[in-house]
Amino acid sequence: MKLSSISRCFQGVIPSLIASADAHGMPNITYVSQVYLVDEKHVALSQQFFNKTRRNLEENPNAAVEITDPLNMQAYRLRLRFLRSEKSGPLFDTMKLRIEAIASHTGMEGVFRLIAADIFEVVRAEKVEGFLLPSEIHDDEAVSVYGHRTEIRGLQLVSDRINRADDLENLLAATLDALDVYFGFRNSIVLLHDEPSQRLITIACRGYGGGVGAEVALGDGLIGTVARERRVLRISSLDENLRYGRAVRRSVLSEKGTAPVRPEIPLPGLPDAQSALILPLLIEDRLVGVLATESREPMAFGEWDEAYLGVIANQIALGIDRVLLDEDDEPSEVPAPPPRLMSPPPTRARHTLTYYRGDDTIFLNDDYLIRNVPGRILWKLLGEWKKQGRTAFTNRELRLDPSLGLPEVKDNLESRLILLRHRLREKCPELQIASAGRGKFSLEIAADLDLVEKA
Amino acid sequence: MTSERLRLCMAGGISVIVGTADVDGIPTCCRAIAISTKDDFDTVTVYVPAATAQETIANVATTRRVAISCTDPLSHGSLQIKGLTRGVRLAAPEEEEFVHRRLHEFADVLDILGQPRRVTQRVVHWPAFAIDVSVEQVFDQTPGPKAGAALT
Repeated sequence: MKLSSISRCFQGVIPSLIASADAHGMPNITYVSQVYLVDEKHVALSQQFFNKTRRNLEENPNAAVEITDPLNMQAYRLRLRFLRSEKSGPLFDTMKLRIEAIASHTGMEGVFRLIAADIFEVVRAEKVEGFLLPSEIHDDEAVSVYGHRTEIRGLQLVSDRINRADDLENLLAATLDALDVYFGFRNSIVLLHDEPSQRLITIACRGYGGGVGAEVALGDGLIGTVARERRVLRISSLDENLRYGRAVRRSVLSEKGTAPVRPEIPLPGLPDAQSALILPLLIEDRLVGVLATESREPMAFGEWDEAYLGVIANQIALGIDRVLLDEDDEPSEVPAPPPRLMSPPPTRARHTLTYYRGDDTIFLNDDYLIRNVPGRILWKLLGEWKKQGRTAFTNRELRLDPSLGLPEVKDNLESRLILLRHRLREKCPELQIASAGRGKFSLEIAADLDLVEKA
Repeated sequence: MTSERLRLCMAGGISVIVGTADVDGIPTCCRAIAISTKDDFDTVTVYVPAATAQETIANVATTRRVAISCTDPLSHGSLQIKGLTRGVRLAAPEEEEFVHRRLHEFADVLDILGQPRRVTQRVVHWPAFAIDVSVEQVFDQTPGPKAGAALT
């Protein structure tokens, strides 16, 4: 039997069983969260705790594993012989990423970790005959995970949208839209890496009711771990993985004298996601951001999705780099203001914007609007408008203004403007920042604004 | 404490698996359908499908040693019973309803976790062998640093 023909069993959706025996033949049986398929002759098991199975293998290298196809529940038994433990290398790093991501998410870094990847030779692999009653539906017809797709055409469409985008917001919106429409990636997020703060900022979402502006620290949770390790993470049964992590957490918390553990990090995105595919956006080794997609279906993402999104992620990373580099060539002259409306709207809303200097925060009437650099940018624009009646601005003049506190390199100005636009769209539709071409934008005000500054 | 945890393992919706080894120390594993006790855990009876437990039955017939793990799929709370086989028999017709009910309760739990009930109910569970085991040791097996600790 070819192990690759039962690759679904190795996705960790249904926990596998492992039996071992000590030198005296006393058996031990336990679950193992995932059996990793190395090649047709070898599998690897994650060693997370120095447990009885591990001690048995040092005395007796024989083991038996039962794995299960999550679609039809057919069981397969593997007779194994333990070969060695690996504590570094590509296989170790791949297995480590999943465990560290779950550990980080559940606040268990350092406790719930990969000690080693235990490599086994597969001596025999066989289907467990008689395990299931005959099905009325042919197993292969029951559920199709990988539908027919016209990959090249889809890639061309997505690539085309990326290339045509003239600013970052359009680039990301068009890409996530294309991934949804053409390939069914319904829930996707792009986060940009903010190097000075070592955080990731959500800059575009598809399939969620908001979320732009949400931040993740490098190394925190699934997305933060992918960013820190710069490696792809595909999880087929998120719920199962998190329940396992939480079981470890409860076990640790029940120990007397245990140091307090950090709270669990909420997953950005779907609260009931079952599958996640998270990819770093890289230019060579430089982290640009993260592309994350998720689904409520278990095993929603296969090797095809990983390979395909890998290509798309590279395109997005290059696209982001291109758009941000283009900004360096932006014009220095201030653009002409957009034509004013001939007739004012019949009734104008009236808003008070209050800037609190102490914590760099702007409130719209009594509601929080925005803070930090995007807040300072908005206050500068509104100040210029109030004093001089200006509505047309350039990115360059923002970069040259020391009062905004932008870093000298990698200032992520474009992403900060996107955040500001999103917040204004959500909170104050009468005040908008509209793109006016490369490196230029205008302030569009359709309300009476009172500006108040406080300490 | 141990009795309480053992009692939870005898409830429905629990995953039960069995490990054995042959005389050469070659282990094998098998999914069981149900476990019960009639004497407050001095002995337990574990029910394994006759169709898939041939190696397990051959092993306990020769070595008598058996390991049984009971796990709550919802919480991953788990313990392991180790003991010696006192006897193996084909489960009696009056035990069929119990075994059948346990499979359905297990299917209900997996259904909560997203595994359709109809798929789990396809697992062959009857006829079954009943393995009577005298309990010698019980270990905590919930994932974490305490896994493997003996329960007293």
